[in-house]
Amino acid sequence: MKLNIDGLLVYFPYDYIYPEQYSYMLELKRTLDAKGHGVLEMPSGTGKTISLLSLIVAYQKVFPLEVTKLIYCSRTVPEIEKVVEELRKLMEFYSKQTGQSNNFLALALSSRKNLCIHPEVSALRFGKEVDGKCHSLTASYIRAQRHSNPDQPVCRFYEEFDAVGRQVPLPAGIYNLDDLKDFGRRKGWCPYYMARYAILHANIVVYSYHYLLDPKIADMVSKELSKKSVVVFDEAHNIDNVCIDAMSVNITRRTLDRCQTNVDTLQTTIQKIKETDSAKLKEEYSRLVEGLKEANVARETDVYLSNPVLPDEILKEAVPGTIRTAEHFVGFLRRFLEYLKSRLRVQHVVQESAPQFLKDIFEKVCIDRKPLRFCAERLQSLLRTLEIADIADFSAVTLISSFATLVSTYSQGFTIIIEPFEDRTPTIANPVLHFSCMDPSIAIKPVFQRFQSVVITSGTLSPLDIYPKILDFRPVTMASFTMTLARTCLCPLIVGRGNDQVALSSKFETREDFAVIRNYGNLLLEMSAIVPDGIVAFFTSYVYMENIVASWYEQGILENIQRNKLIFIETPDAAETSMALEKYQEACENGRGAILLSVARGKVSEGIDFVHHFGRAVIMFGVPYVYTQSRILKARLEYLRDQFQIRENDFLTFDAMRHAAQCVGRAIRGKTDYGLMIFADKRYARADKRGKLPRWIQEHINDGSLNLTVDETVQLSKHFLRQMAQPFRQEDQLGLSLLTLEQLESEEMLQKISQIAHQT
Amino acid sequence: MKNQREPSAGREATRGHGKAVKPWRCVFSCDQVCCRYNLFLLVCREVLKEDESGSLKATVEEILFQSKRKRVVESHGQVRLGMMRHLYVVIDCSRSMEDQDLKPNRLTSTLKLMEAFVDEYFDQNPISQVGIITTKNKRADKLTELAGNPKKHIAALKKAVDTVCGGEPSLYNSLNLAAQSLKHMPGHTSREILIVLSSLTTCDPANIYELIKTLKSLKVRVSVIGLSAEVRVCTVLTRETGGSYHVILDESHFKELLMLHVKPPPASSSSECSLIRMGFPQHTIASLSDQDAKPSFSMSHLDSSSGPGLSLAGYFCPQCHAKYTELPVECKVCGLTLVSAPHLARSFHHLFPLQAFTETPVEELRGDRFCQACQGGLKDKSVFTCPACHSVFCMECDLFIHDSLHCCPCCIHSQSAP
Repeated sequence: MKLNIDGLLVYFPYDYIYPEQYSYMLELKRTLDAKGHGVLEMPSGTGKTISLLSLIVAYQKVFPLEVTKLIYCSRTVPEIEKVVEELRKLMEFYSKQTGQSNNFLALALSSRKNLCIHPEVSALRFGKEVDGKCHSLTASYIRAQRHSNPDQPVCRFYEEFDAVGRQVPLPAGIYNLDDLKDFGRRKGWCPYYMARYAILHANIVVYSYHYLLDPKIADMVSKELSKKSVVVFDEAHNIDNVCIDAMSVNITRRTLDRCQTNVDTLQTTIQKIKETDSAKLKEEYSRLVEGLKEANVARETDVYLSNPVLPDEILKEAVPGTIRTAEHFVGFLRRFLEYLKSRLRVQHVVQESAPQFLKDIFEKVCIDRKPLRFCAERLQSLLRTLEIADIADFSAVTLISSFATLVSTYSQGFTIIIEPFEDRTPTIANPVLHFSCMDPSIAIKPVFQRFQSVVITSGTLSPLDIYPKILDFRPVTMASFTMTLARTCLCPLIVGRGNDQVALSSKFETREDFAVIRNYGNLLLEMSAIVPDGIVAFFTSYVYMENIVASWYEQGILENIQRNKLIFIETPDAAETSMALEKYQEACENGRGAILLSVARGKVSEGIDFVHHFGRAVIMFGVPYVYTQSRILKARLEYLRDQFQIRENDFLTFDAMRHAAQCVGRAIRGKTDYGLMIFADKRYARADKRGKLPRWIQEHINDGSLNLTVDETVQLSKHFLRQMAQPFRQEDQLGLSLLTLEQLESEEMLQKISQIAHQT
Repeated sequence: MKNQREPSAGREATRGHGKAVKPWRCVFSCDQVCCRYNLFLLVCREVLKEDESGSLKATVEEILFQSKRKRVVESHGQVRLGMMRHLYVVIDCSRSMEDQDLKPNRLTSTLKLMEAFVDEYFDQNPISQVGIITTKNKRADKLTELAGNPKKHIAALKKAVDTVCGGEPSLYNSLNLAAQSLKHMPGHTSREILIVLSSLTTCDPANIYELIKTLKSLKVRVSVIGLSAEVRVCTVLTRETGGSYHVILDESHFKELLMLHVKPPPASSSSECSLIRMGFPQHTIASLSDQDAKPSFSMSHLDSSSGPGLSLAGYFCPQCHAKYTELPVECKVCGLTLVSAPHLARSFHHLFPLQAFTETPVEELRGDRFCQACQGGLKDKSVFTCPACHSVFCMECDLFIHDSLHCCPCCIHSQSAP
């Protein structure tokens, strides 16, 4: 259907539209008009992706000069594929409606592992191996060597692409990863490099967060993207953690050992080169004297995305004399390494700021701040000069050098924590140096500064106002949308007491309490008898889950549950978990019924959808607070309080509730789906917790569903499940939660739609 | 009723179609016309509940209400019906049948309703047969074989009340057991299985999806009535085999759902058509015609030891003169189907159903606001008019006429009195 969104003609590839999609598009249009950033929350299963795509594509068509590119960031490869499929549907609709083939180029980009078509390289199993092998076949000096030595193996796909691929732009169309591979095979071009090259002139790019947020990758892939792009971060409820992870470094003794071997290899290689080809080293030296001017020029003309690792002032300077020659630099690295080793030889926990660390390193081994800052760049240059093919082996030394650069560049927003052992195993010495980023805005700042519109969206972003605070940006629109429903298909219940009136809670004091554990067991047992097919239960941590399950086993509760349903458990092992998941789905499919015990913040809680019968109920045992004794967390909380005036408790609750919402949200993946959401902890009933749940869940929690006993929960659930099992057809939704164009354009409906968006 | 409020915009929306009833009117009508207007009460309850907990009840029951009407309307298409039915009823006797959410418990309640069902079934489908299977402890057992005699089934059901429920049911075993005997039934009859499933889990010895495929190829139609919630495997089972799947809300809804299965299902177009030889034996009492007649055994009592053995009277097969005490039956000797004329006549109405009455809002009605059938006042929002004689009926009478009478009383009246 064709929609009129605030004066903009939008082609929408479906015959029906949800009211909230219309509302969402209105808000999005406003964001684009203002050339600002936006935070939008809309429940999963209400067609966020297609709304985003159809509006932005329409905007691009009408104002080709205002918005030149859409950069759509998603989390996983299946999600990326889903986006591309939606886009394909939209484009087919366009060409059908307008009668002309469209000239849009849209493509997905992923790592070499997913795109490689080289018969030997693509057979490798791990991403790192593929990257390393690819590099050893395509690096510039390898290809240069081939001129003198024709036996040198190179990748013929890359050669072909390099020879002709760049002159011929990728024909317009929609490409998912498989399409790219097919196209590459047909032409004999490397799909990965072709895609990387094509994103520069593509209208729509779909890729993972890391291509924009991780400084190491962003530098390679995304630095030349146009400024007039719209960036969308989908499923962005964890974006602050992604930013932090991208900037943090953990160094263990093993890293240092591997680094030591790396440095030794460097040393011998330098010796060898010196004997054979000393001119090369000289050339490098003079280049370093020139400084990093080239990069500087590019930055001024605003072509590159500024990289947070490499601040502006570095580019203006030449590499300091102390590390200019290769031997000196290796010596410098050795000293730095020895210093780190000595720091790891601690008996107690040390926490210090970056300036303290720099002062200490200067006093102990006379390393200045300045050479440290150039460490990463210098290493890159050296590796290039030495023509080392397999970069993958040098990950340890790369890590150390980027740590050196980061620690000397940022005096704020980072902390260094050295722990001699893990908290759980205080007797085993396992020293770790955490260089942890506390400010997610550092990594994302270049993105906000550079692109004219950045949209952060997810099913669970509540409370909305905390994201602009911790990411340090100013949104022009912030809105939360609810789900319009023809029948109430979600049923959040807060269980506060057992049948014996014992308060249910996972808080630390009552964690070991026998009565609480027994009542949790009873809850699961009762639910297993009345909920059909699949139940997913989430615990706050692996340790807690182990304790409870062991206790249930002793009390014979597990045995009783198994009479109703099979039990599967998520473990930290990925292979084991995916096996358990597969069997779980099989048991749901053939009527036996199953329970999946898993952990909030685990793999299951983030990426796996439990549609329809795979998740008829989600039970959240306890409030999934993060492990509060962790020093990194404490440092971050302190930082948040000092810098952004966010109280510790607020942040902890926010973090716990967004994970709880993620967990329970797994069950509802659309309007025809239905599911119970059971919060088994009395603390959920408090206003400060409840108020932080997304609005689409909150509005279904009424006074009657607070602080229930197990029996009451069973009664309510039984009733709900029977109601939901009644036949439900599409016609029943029409006019209420599903609209045709005529219905949408009625005066009354437009007014109702204006109430869906909840502005903050 | 203290938290009555004016309907908000959202509430109006959920009901839609401009059918909003003002809350005060509902309270009023609830008190006035209590239990006779069962359905209308349903509508009232919906509106009252809605004030507290949002749109849930309103819409779900609205949908139910409509589907009920639809049942009447839908069944009047010109379709071929399978008149000779072979139906296996599978009754779950697993642990979950002890649940007391139906009074006194699920098993007793189910068996009671089953008795009524069997009665009604033979009333409407006299030339059809039923068999009963129970499943518990991962096994399936035949309670009664396929037979056309309601008495035997009802007796068996009455006896089954004392069964001890236990273990899990086995969907696979019961379907398999039913399919074993159904597959030998001739192609012009319908093959049906109706499962009353209380448990949410099933214990199967093999992949049930294979069995579903087999059932589909055998053209067995499987329907399920769930007593607790929607189970995936039943959804697939019914969808694949062309049956229906319903989950009960409460006892009255349960009864309603069971009664849905009384009506013969539309015959699939691929099922064979064939002429069936039938015998219409006369009931004769031997002593009247022959002075020295001796009491004789009925053929149907040969294999069952129970019941009265010897009698003077009976039906004698016109082909081979075997004696039967009850009809309808298939002759054990020559295989002829023996029925009586009224049996056929009663099956007849399925083929010439009464036309659906037209629904009009009560406001448009001119003249007296009385139902022609029950003479009660018309208080529902809509009334129903017979398209033939233009008599007006209330909702309840409309359902009664279509479900039980199968003819319009006013039409009959005008015909019989010239």
